[in-house]
Amino acid sequence: MNCIKRILEYIIVFFVIISFNFFIPRLMPGDPFTFLSSDEGSVHSSYTDEQIEKYKAYYGLDKPLWEQYKDYVYNLFRGDLGYSIYYNEAVSSIILKRVIWTIGIVVVSIVLSSLLGIFVGAFSAWHRNSAIDKIIYSIMIVFSEIPSFLIAMLLLFGLAAGKGWFPLSGGITVFGEYKNVFEKIKDIVHHGFLPVLALVLSQTGGYYLLSRNSMITVLSKDYMLTASAKGLDDRRIIFRHGLKNAILPVITRIFMNLGSVFGGAILVENVFSYPGIGRLMREAVMVRDYVLMQGIFLNICILVLTMNFLADIVCRKIDPRVE
Amino acid sequence: MKKEKLKFSSFSNSGKIAILFMILLIFMAIFSPYICPHPYNLPSGSPFESPNRVHWFGTDDLGIDLFSQICYGARISLSVGISAALIAGIGGGILGILAGYYGGIVDKLIMRIVDIMIVLPDLPMMIILGAFFGPSIKNIIFVLAFFSWTGPARIIRSKVLSMKKENYILVAESYGAGFGYLLFKHFIPEILPILMVTIIKLTSKAIVAEAGLAFLGLGDPTSKSWGLILNHAINFRGIYFTDFWKWWVMTPLIAIIFLVLSIAIISRDLEKILNEKL
Repeated sequence: MNCIKRILEYIIVFFVIISFNFFIPRLMPGDPFTFLSSDEGSVHSSYTDEQIEKYKAYYGLDKPLWEQYKDYVYNLFRGDLGYSIYYNEAVSSIILKRVIWTIGIVVVSIVLSSLLGIFVGAFSAWHRNSAIDKIIYSIMIVFSEIPSFLIAMLLLFGLAAGKGWFPLSGGITVFGEYKNVFEKIKDIVHHGFLPVLALVLSQTGGYYLLSRNSMITVLSKDYMLTASAKGLDDRRIIFRHGLKNAILPVITRIFMNLGSVFGGAILVENVFSYPGIGRLMREAVMVRDYVLMQGIFLNICILVLTMNFLADIVCRKIDPRVE
Repeated sequence: MKKEKLKFSSFSNSGKIAILFMILLIFMAIFSPYICPHPYNLPSGSPFESPNRVHWFGTDDLGIDLFSQICYGARISLSVGISAALIAGIGGGILGILAGYYGGIVDKLIMRIVDIMIVLPDLPMMIILGAFFGPSIKNIIFVLAFFSWTGPARIIRSKVLSMKKENYILVAESYGAGFGYLLFKHFIPEILPILMVTIIKLTSKAIVAEAGLAFLGLGDPTSKSWGLILNHAINFRGIYFTDFWKWWVMTPLIAIIFLVLSIAIISRDLEKILNEKL
């Protein structure tokens, strides 16, 4: 029952996004034919009425609104996102080529930052209120508050432009030739290092705090006392009894954060000119390629929604207490 | 116990520094025409001067003083952040009170919308809205507010829900107190401190979001916020290969980071003080 309700909710959100995507160009000031036919800044159309009629029929804009909406949804479900005017290519194929880069840095950064957060958090909780805990705690708080794209800029100018340790832009050396696969991988890692580092630095703090808090709660439980009374060694207590229970909120958080991580990745990609969809989105904005913009937006939304949905399922699977 | 005044000494040391920094920043923003030795929109020196005694933060590619730009940028960044946060906080607060007090269909409707808004990825949506409706300060404030009212709405709703179960509210209700009386006599005084903390946090979020949008080239080109200075600097061709970034990129960058950090520290301290009071 509850599950069906959740699915229904996601379907509603999905349709809100689709409708938003459908209506926003139609709410925009101006109309496409004036824009197409007039000079920059002028509002007078040089098309005759017949020409406009013809184009309207050609683009299906003469139909009533609900029929346009129906066509739009129908095309979406066939995977047809439209045609990019600027790139002269179907939107879906452009996005497909670029999205892999974004998913790459997002996934790698999430994995690294959550692992780092969990372990450092557990370490901090184990040594709670000691000097080392306090130092780690304040560093983590500071980094968790700074948005990722500002960290990215510090890294770009500090380590790439200033020191020259890392490439300034791109995801891979242009026209690079490699002796073998490993060199290519090395090149990709070299390019992706700073973007991932920026995302990791800004995310780890959140996971750390969560892991530290839940670990402290777990450590104060009676069964932990029993465990140490039984004479189990520290490592076993932390990993087998502590972390296993403390890890749950972190997993929930990982999926819940996805939307904001993608948001961060969009900006970070632009700092490093990384060839993902965040960069693509800015290019689309710069050349006013509205069809492409909408396609990217829709894809990010679907990605985030799917992940949230998975989070719901995963949470229920590992923690039956979630109703 | 409740009416205890918020004292400066109840803040932590870092909190005190943060408050002083914020006061300085607000002072700079308000009195920028009197503080700034140079105009913020006209060249006052040669291009790319490194920080010196005339131009404290150096100059940009047109020879415009960066210190003045930071001062005037503080005006824009702060006013965008504060007004977006105020709209979102007050709007969200009202919706939260309504949802918490009336319950039933009103509550369901508002919370459903909140659920939907929370799942939407906000930055891509802001980019789309900014691109379609054009970058003006008004649009940016509206869009930022539109995407941040859900937080206060949820917090205030749960607060009102828990207050409604308190005895003194029940007693007041049994004497015939209506919504208006309860609102002004009980709800608002209790809610205001929480709402204040939320609005402070939202301000920082809105400033960062505005900086992000401006960085992407979706800022209002007529009002030079800190994000727009960054955008300008990054788009300069030789920025990576010269030393200009050391003052041109770093001053707005550090300004934003300091602002975000001090707001975070202040709101953390405020939350602690509030929790101790309760």
